Amino acid sequence: MFSYYLRLAFKSLRRNPILSALMVAAIALGIGSSMTTITVNYLMSADPIPEKSDQLYYVQVDSWDPNNPYDDESNDPPNQLTWTDATNLMRAKQAPAQTAMAKSGGIIEPVNQDDKPFEASIRLAFNDFFSMFNVPFLYGNAWSDVADDERQQVIVLTRAINDKVFGGENSVGRSMVMAGKTFRVVGVMDNWQPTPKFYDVNNGAFDEVEEVYMPFYLKEELELPNWGNTNCWKSPEGEGFKAFLQSECINFQMWVELPTQADKADYLAFLDNYAQEQKALGRFPRPLNNRLSNVMEWMENQQVVADDARMMMWLSFMFLAVCLLNTIGLLLAKFTGKSAEIGLRRAVGASKGDLFAQHLVETGLIGVLGGLFGLGLALLGLEGIKSLYGNFVDNLASLDITLVIVGLLLALVSSIAAGLYPTWRACNIAPSSQLKSQ
Amino acid sequence: MLVMNDIKKVFRTDLVETHALRDFNLQVDEGDFVAVTGPSGSGKTTFLNIAGLLETFEGGQYLLDGQDVSQLNDKARSQLRNEKIGFIFQSFNLIPDLDLFDNVDVPLRYRGFNAAERKRRIESALEMVGLANRMKHLPAQLSGGQQQRVAIARALAGEPRFLLADEPTGNLDTKMAHSVMELLKEINQAGTTIVMVTHDPSLARDAKRNIYVRDGKVSELHSVGQELPDAANA
Amino acid sequence: MLEIGPIFRALMRNKVGAVLIAIQIAITMTIIVNSVFMIVERNEKMQRQSGLDEANTFHISSVGFGEGFNPRSTVEADLAQLRALPGVVDAIQINALPISGGGWSMGLQTEPGAEHDGTGVAVYMVDEHGINALDVEVIAGENFAPSDIRWRASRSPTWPNKVILTKAMVEKLFPDSPWADAVGKTVYINDNDPMIISGIIDKLQAPWVGWDNVENAMLSPERMEFTATRYLIRTQPGQRDRLMPEVEEMLASSNKQRVIRGMRTVEEDRERSYRGDSAMIKILTTVMVILTIVTALGIVGLASFSVNRRRKQIGTRRALGASQGAILRYFMLENFLISSVGVVLGAGLTIGLNILLVNTFEMNPMNWYYIPIGMLVLWLVGQVAVYGPARRAAGIAPATATRTV
Ligand SMILES: Nc1ncnc2c1ncn2[C@@H]1O[C@H](COP(=O)(O)OP(=O)(O)O)[C@@H](O)[C@H]1O
Ligand SMILES: [Mg+2]
Repeated sequence: MFSYYLRLAFKSLRRNPILSALMVAAIALGIGSSMTTITVNYLMSADPIPEKSDQLYYVQVDSWDPNNPYDDESNDPPNQLTWTDATNLMRAKQAPAQTAMAKSGGIIEPVNQDDKPFEASIRLAFNDFFSMFNVPFLYGNAWSDVADDERQQVIVLTRAINDKVFGGENSVGRSMVMAGKTFRVVGVMDNWQPTPKFYDVNNGAFDEVEEVYMPFYLKEELELPNWGNTNCWKSPEGEGFKAFLQSECINFQMWVELPTQADKADYLAFLDNYAQEQKALGRFPRPLNNRLSNVMEWMENQQVVADDARMMMWLSFMFLAVCLLNTIGLLLAKFTGKSAEIGLRRAVGASKGDLFAQHLVETGLIGVLGGLFGLGLALLGLEGIKSLYGNFVDNLASLDITLVIVGLLLALVSSIAAGLYPTWRACNIAPSSQLKSQ
Repeated sequence: MLVMNDIKKVFRTDLVETHALRDFNLQVDEGDFVAVTGPSGSGKTTFLNIAGLLETFEGGQYLLDGQDVSQLNDKARSQLRNEKIGFIFQSFNLIPDLDLFDNVDVPLRYRGFNAAERKRRIESALEMVGLANRMKHLPAQLSGGQQQRVAIARALAGEPRFLLADEPTGNLDTKMAHSVMELLKEINQAGTTIVMVTHDPSLARDAKRNIYVRDGKVSELHSVGQELPDAANA
Repeated sequence: MLEIGPIFRALMRNKVGAVLIAIQIAITMTIIVNSVFMIVERNEKMQRQSGLDEANTFHISSVGFGEGFNPRSTVEADLAQLRALPGVVDAIQINALPISGGGWSMGLQTEPGAEHDGTGVAVYMVDEHGINALDVEVIAGENFAPSDIRWRASRSPTWPNKVILTKAMVEKLFPDSPWADAVGKTVYINDNDPMIISGIIDKLQAPWVGWDNVENAMLSPERMEFTATRYLIRTQPGQRDRLMPEVEEMLASSNKQRVIRGMRTVEEDRERSYRGDSAMIKILTTVMVILTIVTALGIVGLASFSVNRRRKQIGTRRALGASQGAILRYFMLENFLISSVGVVLGAGLTIGLNILLVNTFEMNPMNWYYIPIGMLVLWLVGQVAVYGPARRAAGIAPATATRTV
């Protein structure tokens, strides 16, 4: 029976080709625009590390100005840490795994004298960084605890930098000059690009990961520059790098891994305790306001999903609504036009259910066609977004299989929903009404 | 007065040319009641359409009230239809979305009467066909005979000089048909000229004058058996 | 008009189709009017001037490395070379660039002390050539003298004792007195460090185009002894593109102890900074156009259907004396009625969505006149869309009335 209905549906679509095209196009446009914005929003709000996003916590302590909260509206604590707090918390080692970090950069002088020196971004971190965030390695490993403590000049490279400097060879054990110092390569990462780049969203939530990784304390040792946001509520006391590190300026981030809720509670208690200690030393003038946010909470708090993207998604849903209303109207007109045929089918013995099924197949067919074209349009739309916004959205504008299925389902469900009322109306045409003239 | 001299009408489709009317001649006098009979496809409806200015024609001359209508534009033809001619259709042609009041109102709107005048005319027209009490009903809520009465009321509300009816009883049973015929006779009595196409010889016999159409021509013109005295004098 | 009553009553018997179109028009209006409003807002934002001679200005970064790198002599040599280059109007060392997206901000206050709130201001460190290179005008007071310029060491917490402010910044700091009177007054940076206002300039934007205080900027008379630094070069009209590769090559070859990178025109900065806005404008425009087409086609489709369904009725009307014009008017009027319901509903929805956007996305409330204009436009769209089917309806032969089915 299904194939009979399908044949009827095709026939019916061919009978009013323009009208059918209009309906398919309406659904395709609605689905296309919705899928485009859903994709962008879905990827922006995706869980970048689903296997442990609820065990990784971003650390915030309130070290801010006694006269002004860090954020007037939300009363959130500062979104980064001072050097003092980052190093104190790291030394306390109260979590099973933890890493403070910062963004920096420096000039790489390639081994090959012919290659030009170039600038590269640096992530200063502790060795737990790699295990906490499941960073894949192509060659070698993370550096050791000792390297962290002794401030050894060791580095981990991204695959791209290893390709650039060492031609893609296994460079573990070789040395490389950066920021005027010689480093020993201990590891080369495989391709890795969490989206969003959750571990440091306030320096570009969808930026590329840094190119070179080295022990955190080298910041002090080598006086590496601050990249990324630096925010101070009072100026450093005195000149020079030391004064900056000892200041109340925030430029550092910290993540801890806390497998259980008990661990989290313990760590929070530790932070509160730490804040009290600092108060005794004359710091932390504000009321106690420390916070641990897991990955998704942190993304939410930092509003990683751009307002424009959310706004576009709302608009595109409204767009879809218009397209569906359009389809309902056209289906209604179409099915009303078929009332003679429906009356006849009823007269020769088709039940309401039969007719309902027949017309539902017809609307379903329109929906599937619209969905397929809509997916095509979504691909086009995503290309458009890429060309409008530039490279930074490359990671945000690609359809995966889940999205394709979501798109087709959305098209099918919405078109059938759109067809429900017209179908119901059509099936309720009394067979006798057709016999009365007019 | 309605005069047709040598009217020709050809329908052209991709495949064939149909000469629906050829040299059609007829004169209908003021106050007449003409019944038109003839086989199916002979051109009766075509004649009525031309008479009612629903269709144009290719050759010949048509004078309506002494006015040559062949040169008139659509607007003037519409206005003539509206003011001088009332139509009754086989399938009633009531507008299903409008109630009886609004249906009868349709031609009056195009006439440009004011609201009070329209209301007066609609009520008296419906009164006349005996449906004044169903003014707010929809066509679908009436029987066929009642629907046709509404259509007649609609045709009469504008007080036309001519009433053209194309098989007005074709969709009605005999009893209904006769009651509609009685109504038409009353209307004719009141002074309206009527031209009615019909299949039914018994109804045709009730008219003052019969014409027979065959192959697009008035092939035979015969008076009805019992001629009325005044028709004989005409 | 002619026959609103019966048209309306006939519509009420076919509510669903009419209601569908009305809702469609309402939502379309909601989207379109809000989109137009956003487009206008963003366009206004994009039209703001940075104050620079944008078409003839570019910048380039120099990052020193190696033990022997001397920032101070490098800057001095670079500036001398750049300023001597034919076609260059002026060149300066600067810490950050207007509308480029990255820079420094500080707070300035009129009273010393941590308990007072400061007003946010973008900091530009320039020497006495800054006025000329940035193409700004001193409208009160005077430019820095060469003797005012100091060298800033890396991570120095201190500030020079003179400052030049934009007029907008002065007006924020001293809202109660004429802006020109501010020359000679003292403002405080870092809560307590005094700076005397030595001049006021007409206009210079901050690096962050989305910042509320984008018109607040200050010039601080200093050169920087930093290993990583930037130069801003203003050229004579039409010379920029010729000079860019020349400058890059010149700086790269004059000193091997550094990397020259990040050469960009201010126009590129503008393009990057406003990319989101310009993308949004393009997307919204596309959405508007497509949506209008979809709605219009929907109206055409439904109207065509309703004309077809009513062929007999139309013939009958014609037979009863309706002229072609009357039939045309009937359908136009019918659409007008539906549109009217739609745009009234749309006006409400438009305001509702705007309120929602204001609350959720901190957008501005819409000006009232967008609503009537939007209503008018959608009325027109409806009328244009229905004109075709209405024309076809008017063309239906009166004789259709006598055709038996
Ligand atoms: N619109 C038309 N197009 C083509 N042929 C037509 C059209 N209307 C009528 N005819 C033809 O003209 C002839 C007369 O038709 P009609 O006047 O309707 O006949 P009657 O009403 O006497 O049955 C028929 O052969 C019919 O097929
Ligand atoms: Mg006929």
